[in-house]
Order: sequence, then structure tokens, then C-alpha cells
Amino acid sequence: MAIDQTTDRRVYSADDPIIEIRNAAVTYDEGRSYVLDHVSLELERGEILGVVGESGSGKSMLASSLLDAVPSPGHLTGEITYRPDGKAPINILELEKADRRSLRWEDISMVFQGAMNSFNPTLDLRTHFEETLRAHDADIKKGLGRAEELLEDLYLEPDRILDSYPHELSGGMQQRALIALSLVLDPDVLVMDEPTAALDLLMQRSILLLLSDLQEKYNLTMVFITHDLPLVAALADRMAIMYAFRLVEIGDTRDIVENAAHPYTRALLNSTPNLDAPLSEMQPIDGQSPAPINMPTGCAYHPRCPLATEECRTEVPDYHEVETDHGSACYHWQASYDEVPLLHENSPGDTTGGVDE
Amino acid sequence: MSDNPLISLEDIEVHFTNENLLNFDEPETVHAVDGVSLDIEENDIVSLVGESGCGKTTLGKTAIGLQRPTGGSVTYRGEDIWAVRDGTATTETEWEDIRTSLQIIHQDPGASLNPNRRIVSILSEPLRQVNPELSRSEKRSRIYSLLERVGMNPPQDFAERYPHQLSGGEQQRVALCRALLMNPDVILADEAISALDVSLRVEMMDLMLDLQDEFDTSYIFISHDLSNARYFSGHGGGKIGVMYLGELVEVGPAEDMINDPQHPYTNVLRWATPDLALRGTGEPPMRKIDVPDPVDPPSGCRFHTRCPKATEACRQETPSDYQHGEQTVACFREDENHEYWDSPELTD
Repeated sequence: MAIDQTTDRRVYSADDPIIEIRNAAVTYDEGRSYVLDHVSLELERGEILGVVGESGSGKSMLASSLLDAVPSPGHLTGEITYRPDGKAPINILELEKADRRSLRWEDISMVFQGAMNSFNPTLDLRTHFEETLRAHDADIKKGLGRAEELLEDLYLEPDRILDSYPHELSGGMQQRALIALSLVLDPDVLVMDEPTAALDLLMQRSILLLLSDLQEKYNLTMVFITHDLPLVAALADRMAIMYAFRLVEIGDTRDIVENAAHPYTRALLNSTPNLDAPLSEMQPIDGQSPAPINMPTGCAYHPRCPLATEECRTEVPDYHEVETDHGSACYHWQASYDEVPLLHENSPGDTTGGVDE
Repeated sequence: MSDNPLISLEDIEVHFTNENLLNFDEPETVHAVDGVSLDIEENDIVSLVGESGCGKTTLGKTAIGLQRPTGGSVTYRGEDIWAVRDGTATTETEWEDIRTSLQIIHQDPGASLNPNRRIVSILSEPLRQVNPELSRSEKRSRIYSLLERVGMNPPQDFAERYPHQLSGGEQQRVALCRALLMNPDVILADEAISALDVSLRVEMMDLMLDLQDEFDTSYIFISHDLSNARYFSGHGGGKIGVMYLGELVEVGPAEDMINDPQHPYTNVLRWATPDLALRGTGEPPMRKIDVPDPVDPPSGCRFHTRCPKATEACRQETPSDYQHGEQTVACFREDENHEYWDSPELTD
């Protein structure tokens, strides 16, 4: 069952990787089934990577793996290497408890979904920031100064926010305050798991804009995990598509959106309501994604795939290089262009968005 | 039959007052809905879109009689439903019948299904109410055929499960079945697809649209996502209404609202809807990110604090409704002769 997606390294490799993931796998039953199935990936320093997958595709497992924070009793194997700028590489999975503790938040920080559940309702926001700084032996005064700057970057009034309790803030404000909190120790990498899922679209889109400003200002590397492909397409430099606990396609955002080379990615693009596509043409993906305990043999997508052949049913496909830095784990990626035509291709691209007069 | 719309909302106002016993200050009043008029016809689809807290759910609940308005009237086939409720109307119509005709699907399907009961028992409840004469086996066969219709095969298997044994999409289908078994005239779908994966939303909307024809029902579809509202209303030939801080700022046919939005706020929502054109996000067409406090809504046009086109006139005066083709727009920009055009621009 275990597959090796490392043979063709070119498709996912980075020039200056800040994190290298090799064969990361998570199992809850001693290897009989995997909820993250031997994923390899490199994260370029300073990039924004969008990881897209449906519920139960293993995308949160990938996020947790980056911090070696897979919920117990899950067992994580593989190799995850963090390469801080100008320092020796660190193998995250072999860190001692204390080192791992300081790596989290100070080097790699994470924003979970549902900000409302991430704060302690009995503490005001200032206490949250102070506790975090204290737990990591940071200078509290300096740290609070940084917190204020971050809050301002996120269009929040620092004094008002720091003196508030979580319930006194709207969902959008809580989520932004949480992003500020996650960045208060000046990490290099920010991993966000559905950071905007519970918010309305306007706030989601506003937060995305702010994230892209933060990325530039603080030179962050970001991983943005979501089920909403069009949402992250506006932010990410590169995208990785997950299906059934494996990465099925990876490439530059433009390549993924305009030249997707995996039938699943193409079906996903076609299933998304979109103001640009003609109204009549949305198509849901037939069937359901598999559960870890009854993964199909071969390519996990084959029961739903119009291109599936005997090969797909027996052998897990490796990455095929579509172009430089664009890989698709599909034997028939060339045929997918004709077999699964993209709906949004034919639509006029310039008649949309904010209508100016 | 009369020419009355199925449901007619007249100048609806819903204010929530928070009276605190220990606090002798003025009680806080949240203006959840203010002065909204809207008609829902037979077999109609009306989508309400807007940000969190804009009053779309409150308006939806008011339309189906779950929330009593503090002002204005709600009529169902020409009868004032709260007059019927209070027994002050001179009519044969029973409150029970009205209540039965107006159903709701909630946002979180998991929380709206009783975790201790099997699907078959959850779905027997509406049948017991509407068709008490049915025998046990007739009820079962009706439930099975509906489960099969919504794609839950084999129905005998699904019927014996508990809600937690279903996926989110399946739970939402059960909630839809439960509403349909009441033979309703209107179903309020309150963010009914928001909790589902993006890729499952189209499927759920298609199902709801197919069943609309079979069950002859109208939908009030609440969403914060303009592209979903467009898909749903567009396919059903319905309307989209845009709400901002308790007011309906623009309403019109789905495709017109998407292709030719008139109100600056509709344009903001248009901007916020992700698409695949990859133009980059650009600057938002608004001046502030956060919504003002609904306890103390801004004067004049409530959107003036964020609107990129606002002038001093917008702060002073509340725009009335203007007609633009089939769209109704509450913005001075529709009136060429309004003093708005000579008024200084707001920039703060």
C-alpha cells in the first residue's frame, strides 16, 4: 500500500527549501491504513503554498505533521526537515521534548480552524499574548510591542483588542487576533488549517489580503490549508491537491487552475460554483471519497475516474512531470485534458470582479 | 385562489432589546432588521446574502413565522400570520396549518438531528403530524422512497442508522427530507450548504432544485456566498436580495444582480466571491473591513462608513428604493438629480 512518491523529485522540489517532507505517513492502526499516505513535499522559503482537499482527505494531518503534532495515538513516520536560514537543518521528528516545544510557535506556528475555540474565554487577549511570551521566555514588553504592531497590520485597534475578552469580538476580529497571536514570537513558517472557514466570504477575502501583506512584511513562509480551491487560488503561489490522504497534483497556482493535469483536480475545478462560468455548467463529482479503512487499490481516485484503466486499479501512480515544477500522479494526465474539459476556460476572463464605471 | 403572494413581508422591523437588570443605563437595542419589504411567490426562490450579522437569518425566520417582528406585517396567502396566531383575525385559517407550511433547514445538520434517534424515527415524526392515518409500514415505505430519492442507498440501511453515523452531506439530506415530509409551501434553508465541502455544495443545491419541482415548494435560501446564491436562484429563476446591517439594499433577478450590480455593497460582495480568473485580489472596493455595531447603526445610508462612493449626503439622508430595470436599489447613485453628486466625498 505504501507508495514512494519521491522518485521524481523535480515536480515538488524547491530551490531553497525551508521545510522538506519525505514520505510523511500517519497511521492509527500500526500501518494497516494511513490517514496521511507517504507524502513528500518541499516548501520554498518565502512562498505561500495552498493545500486543497475535501473533508477527510488528510490535509489537516499534513498540517499537524509539520509541527510533529499529530493527535494521539496517531503514529507519524517519515522525515521532516526544517532548514532555518543560515543554521543547521533540524529533523523535526527527532527533537527532544523541550526543543520541539520551542520550535513550535517560535519557528513554525500554527493557526487552527475556529478561532472561537482557540482562545480561553475567561482570559482577556492581553493575557493570551503575555502567557505565550512568558511560556517561551520572551521579553514581554518587547513582545507586546510587536503584538500591537501585528494587530495594527491586521486593521485592529491594539488597545481595544488587548483589553477585550474573546466573546466581545466578532468572529472576523477573533480570527485576526489569533493570527497576530500566532506571529508574536516571530516564526518563519505559518501553517493555517482552514483559518477562515467559519467566516463570511467578505471577511475571508479581506483576511486573505491581509495575509499576503503580512507575508511580504515579515518575510513569512505560509501553508494555507482549505477545501475551497478558488479561495486560496487568489493567495497561493503554488498549490498541492490532496485526494484520499495522498498528494495527487502539485504545481504553480496558474498551472493548477488553467492547466490542471489530474482528472480529480479538473473535476474539482468544475464542481465549484463560480461567477465566471456559465450558469448551466456546474458538475458535481460523482461518488464519494474513500475512508482510510477501505482505500481502493491502485490510484484511490479510480472508482470515480472516467479515465480509469486496469493499470489504475492495480498500481499507485507516481508523479508524472507535466511541466517543470508541475506534477500529476496520474497515468492518463494527457488524456484528462480532453476527457474532463474545464468549464471556466471558455468564459470571458475580463468581465468579472469589481465592476467599475 | 387569490393573487396574493405566498408570503408578503411589509416594512418588517425586528429589534432585539437587551434589558439588563443590574444596569440602569439605556437598554441596548439591536436593529436586526429595519424596514424590509419582500414578496415570496409560489415555487419561488429568494436568496438572501450578506455578511455575518446583517440580519438575513432574522429576516428569514420572520418570513416563516419563527420570529415575531417588532414592526410591520407578515402575510401568508393574504392572511396576517401573527393576527392568526393571536386569534385576532377573522378567518378559518389555523396557526398550526401555517406553521406546518413553513419549514426550516438549519446550518448545522448534526445539531439539528436528535442524536438518540434513528433516521427512520426522525423522519416518522413529520409523517405522524401531517398524515396521522398512515400505517407503520406505509410510513416506512414513504421514508424509504424519499431516502432513495435523495441518493441514500440502500434506504433500509440508512434508515436504521443514527445521525452520527452519517456524513455531513447525508445529515443535511435527512434534514431536507424531514422538512419535505411536512409538505411545506416554503423551506427556509439557513446556510444549509455552508457546512459542506465546496465540491458537495453543487450536488446538494441540484438536489434541492429537483425536489422543488416534485414537491412544489418555495425556498428562502440564506448564504454569505454570492456564487451559491447565484447558482441556486439562477437555476430556479429566482431573486437575490442583498442585506446590509438589517436593511435590504438591493434585490433583483439573479443574473442581473451578478452581471450588473448597482449598489456599491453588492459590488463589494461580488469582489469577495472567489473566482478562478487569477487577476489577483486587488484592493477591496470598501474603506473599512469591519461592520459597524448594529446597536448603533450609522446615520443615513448605513453603508456610508465603508462605501468607497459615499458622500456627505449619504451620511445625512437615508436613500429610498430606486428602480433600475428589474432591480430595486437603495442608493442615491440611481438618481441623477440627487444632491449626492454635488456633495463632498467621504474619505475617513
